[in-house]
Amino acid sequence: MDIARLQKIEDYLWEIPQDFRGDMRVPARIFATERLPRDIASDRSLEQLMNVAALPGIREYALAMPDVHEGYGFPVGGVAAFGLEDGIISPGGIGYDINCGVRLLLSGLRKEVVAAHTHNLARTIFAEVPSGTGRGGTLSLKDEELDLVLARGAKRMAELGYAEDDDLAHIESGGVLPGADPAAISVHAKSRGRDQLGTIGAGNHFVEVGFVDEVFDAKMAHRMGIALGQVTVLIHTGSRGLGHQVATDHIRAMVRAMPKYHITLPDRELACAPFKSPEGQAYFSAMNAAGNFAWANRQLITARVRRAWQAVFGAGEKLSVLYDVAHNIAKIESYEIDGKVEGLLVHRKGATRAFPGQPVLIPGSMGTASYVLVGEKKSLATSFGSSCHGAGRAMSRTKARARIGAKQLRAELEAQGIAIAAGSRRGFTEEAPFAYKDIDAVVSVIHDAGIASRVARLRPLAVMKG
Amino acid sequence: MPYTFKAHVADVRMQVSGRTLRAVFKDALAGMTALAKPRSPGARVTRDIALSAPDATALLIDFLNEALVLMLTRREAYSAVVFEHLGERGLVARLAGKSVEGFGEDIKAVTYHEAALARAPSGFWQTTIIFDV
Repeated sequence: MDIARLQKIEDYLWEIPQDFRGDMRVPARIFATERLPRDIASDRSLEQLMNVAALPGIREYALAMPDVHEGYGFPVGGVAAFGLEDGIISPGGIGYDINCGVRLLLSGLRKEVVAAHTHNLARTIFAEVPSGTGRGGTLSLKDEELDLVLARGAKRMAELGYAEDDDLAHIESGGVLPGADPAAISVHAKSRGRDQLGTIGAGNHFVEVGFVDEVFDAKMAHRMGIALGQVTVLIHTGSRGLGHQVATDHIRAMVRAMPKYHITLPDRELACAPFKSPEGQAYFSAMNAAGNFAWANRQLITARVRRAWQAVFGAGEKLSVLYDVAHNIAKIESYEIDGKVEGLLVHRKGATRAFPGQPVLIPGSMGTASYVLVGEKKSLATSFGSSCHGAGRAMSRTKARARIGAKQLRAELEAQGIAIAAGSRRGFTEEAPFAYKDIDAVVSVIHDAGIASRVARLRPLAVMKG
Repeated sequence: MPYTFKAHVADVRMQVSGRTLRAVFKDALAGMTALAKPRSPGARVTRDIALSAPDATALLIDFLNEALVLMLTRREAYSAVVFEHLGERGLVARLAGKSVEGFGEDIKAVTYHEAALARAPSGFWQTTIIFDV
């Protein structure tokens, strides 16, 4: 689109007015710097955002975060809220990897101690946490066991002994979404997820050992238990094949159901159904169950990482959960609309919840910084309590592979003091840092816009990926 | 080549065309299987499937997704398909291929994004298919 039509509302916030396109029900808004709109306009994410603004029951505006990029139907880095009575639910507004998210663990060790052990640590964690294409985990669940995980998420992992006492208190929604119905998950989806608990998968998912290299807000960092030089572990993964199959199943069901509800769309990946409809409720129940599967997954990975950690550093060394947050999810939340508080279904696709006082975890790409922020009150007024989720891909996998070989990339990362354990040379080069947008610029927009404030920056010491 | 892979920022874009619907479905399956990079093919296998959909585009995407979930859950790679029936809104088919140890590429889903199976002025059926990888 012509970015000259973008109207600047305030610093870091731009708007495509509702009358830009005849079918838009609300304006579309983008959080960005003066320069970022040009980057964003280089793909179809703004067109996709306008498509979202045209969906039934949307409230206030369709939002794009500064890391937005073209996705399927909805852009990745998009947020949209819909009325519970007149609005829709769309699997494409949540993403295929339901409850893809990030968990940050804090250690009691400093960088100087861990730096001498990074290769051993990387190998040990890599052996404990299966990753890569089609890799199954160490648990293969029978139907009734899988149903308990789908219904109770991380809580079920705690019941099985894979959690420490206060882990659940440090997970968004306590690691279990209400309204999850295992019966809403297809046989296909269960088959894909049955042996995938405790696995990272491929693509941009990883376990990363890092350290706190800068503290921006000493008081808040202290409150969170973060200190300069402290070693951390970041876990980024989601609901694996199970979540993808849930999305596939329900997009298919909604494509069939839309004519019944007189919904026509410019892109089938926007497939949706009224939230109150049988199809909408079936997907919401299945999405909640897949979300629980993802939290159980990150909980089991945490237990495996702890085992590796203690194998390297001794049984007394602890890893505590700072927070675990989803960035592909839809949740019912209350917001003030036209002076009245209303329950809304907030879709976050590649967007992180950023409620006031809540830790907001923004992972970088392999070899670059990650950030811990804290949500601010303004997020409730301007972004439906949402923030960005990462750097966002800027270069195709093919181009990334063509630009650098695995050997050279490994040498470059090791020269920066980063140990690598990767299952696939191809997957490794596809995730080269230069294939992603500048995380510092993305986080600056969120900080300067007042959505969430920078607390600390993390730098990697070891990266484990598929 | 009845299917070709094109650049995509995050995932894989495939273009497929054929003189008949059967040719497009067959070549799209072959393209997906090639993309998945099956490892160590073993014993021959067949799977029967039956699907219906609102139109030809949805039927093609549903067909590939059905084959994909069978590939992933049964560890099988399908190199051929025989249609007992194929219309624009339904199919009955037998997939044929081999059991495998696994796959080199993690195809997570076949999406509807950009998919629009239609006849070009040349008379050929053609569409783009985006794979979430």
